[in-house]
Amino acid sequence: MENDIIIQMKNIRKSFAGVPVLKGIDLTVKKSEVLAVIGPSGSGKSTLLRCLNNLETIDDGSIQVKGDYLVQSRQGRAVYADKDTQKKILGYMGMVFQQFNLFPHMTVLDNLLEAPVHVKNMKKAEVLPVAEELLRKISLFDKKDAYPSRLSGGQQQRVAIARALCMAPDIMLFDEPTSALDPELTIGVLNTMRQLAQEHMTMIVVTHEMGFAHDVANNVIFMADGGIVEQGDSQQFFGNPKEERTKLFLHSMLK
Amino acid sequence: MHNIANTFMLMLEGTQTTLQIFSITLILSIPLGLLISLARLSPLRLISRLVEIYIWIMRGTPLMLQLLFVYFALPMVGIKLSDLTAALFAFTLNYAAYFAEIFRAGIQSINRGQYEAAKTLGMSYPQTMQRIILPQVIRRVLPPISNETINLVKDTSLIYILAMNDLLRVARTIVQREFDMTPFVIAAVFYLVMTFVLTWLFKLLEAHYGKYEV
Repeated sequence: MENDIIIQMKNIRKSFAGVPVLKGIDLTVKKSEVLAVIGPSGSGKSTLLRCLNNLETIDDGSIQVKGDYLVQSRQGRAVYADKDTQKKILGYMGMVFQQFNLFPHMTVLDNLLEAPVHVKNMKKAEVLPVAEELLRKISLFDKKDAYPSRLSGGQQQRVAIARALCMAPDIMLFDEPTSALDPELTIGVLNTMRQLAQEHMTMIVVTHEMGFAHDVANNVIFMADGGIVEQGDSQQFFGNPKEERTKLFLHSMLK
Repeated sequence: MHNIANTFMLMLEGTQTTLQIFSITLILSIPLGLLISLARLSPLRLISRLVEIYIWIMRGTPLMLQLLFVYFALPMVGIKLSDLTAALFAFTLNYAAYFAEIFRAGIQSINRGQYEAAKTLGMSYPQTMQRIILPQVIRRVLPPISNETINLVKDTSLIYILAMNDLLRVARTIVQREFDMTPFVIAAVFYLVMTFVLTWLFKLLEAHYGKYEV
């Protein structure tokens, strides 16, 4: 694995209506790393991910992706880059949501084609083979003309992953991708993510799937109350957690 | 026999005026209503407040009063409009206000996740609205739009106060002249036919825009 840093977040602070939800988070992700972010609900893990791709703005701190600053700290305040730079940086990242958020009025294939054609201004004929290949990879090629409402939750989430991949991102962000799914439907989604990891995609995965975090992630971060309690490589993290809080959480998850 | 045919022809002419007001108002007020709803949702407070006041006035006063105002008050400040233009002006402003509120409700009913998905895919606000949000809004607002549209068919009869010969005024004139109620029955049938056609059209539209639903 190459050792270059692709994401650097420093001292991220964020409050909602005066209530701090991120209390100075530092985070570094290397290229091809799979990082699992775990923690109880309300710990700020989803907010952290949403700050990284600008769905939320931070109050202080800096975020650097592929060497470009999305936001920098100046005199205790977060100062964002200009719109063009922001757009460029956000283009490095694909996002998968808990609720899939497929476009319901478009077929599966059109969901994949939409952004490459209308954001990157690529020709449809150019994107089509890429999109079809992605659909084959997630074993949903036969559903390409179906509307999302005809698919199961697990299938929708796989399409959402393919839709993000169709923009050829360097980094994939997953915000609790299996939390809205019935247990038997999570397997397909997790397998798709596992496959991505094997292809050396850089991934940050906010998840409750301890099995996935253990087996697939290189590193794990455990968050609680807006801070990082413990982090480490996944073998060490799960095999020999140091903090009492981590032990309690892992114990409760395994019950 | 000659008399009935004559009545019928006169009423068809009245229907033409009715349909003219109806269709032009609809064509103008739907896009205008959409624009107004976007202004109403603007993050700029001044714009959104102004639009709110406009909607309040349009929905808070009788359409008849608005018609009279455009027809009688505007000429006093030097704005002279023809009968037809005056009627269209008042109808369009009034209906745009109602359509704006329908569109606003429709836009706000779309899940925030749709905006977020579009944003993370790099889409701009106009692209998001045009390609992602509005196509879904159309499906949701069709039933209330259909309601308002049917109302408009009947509201067109208000133009009788501007002395324009719409379907109802023609019918009334004949009834008063001949002491025969048939024209009222014919007028009712004409209105029913028009609303029937509209109901059917909207059903087709709903099926078309709803084809992605289970």
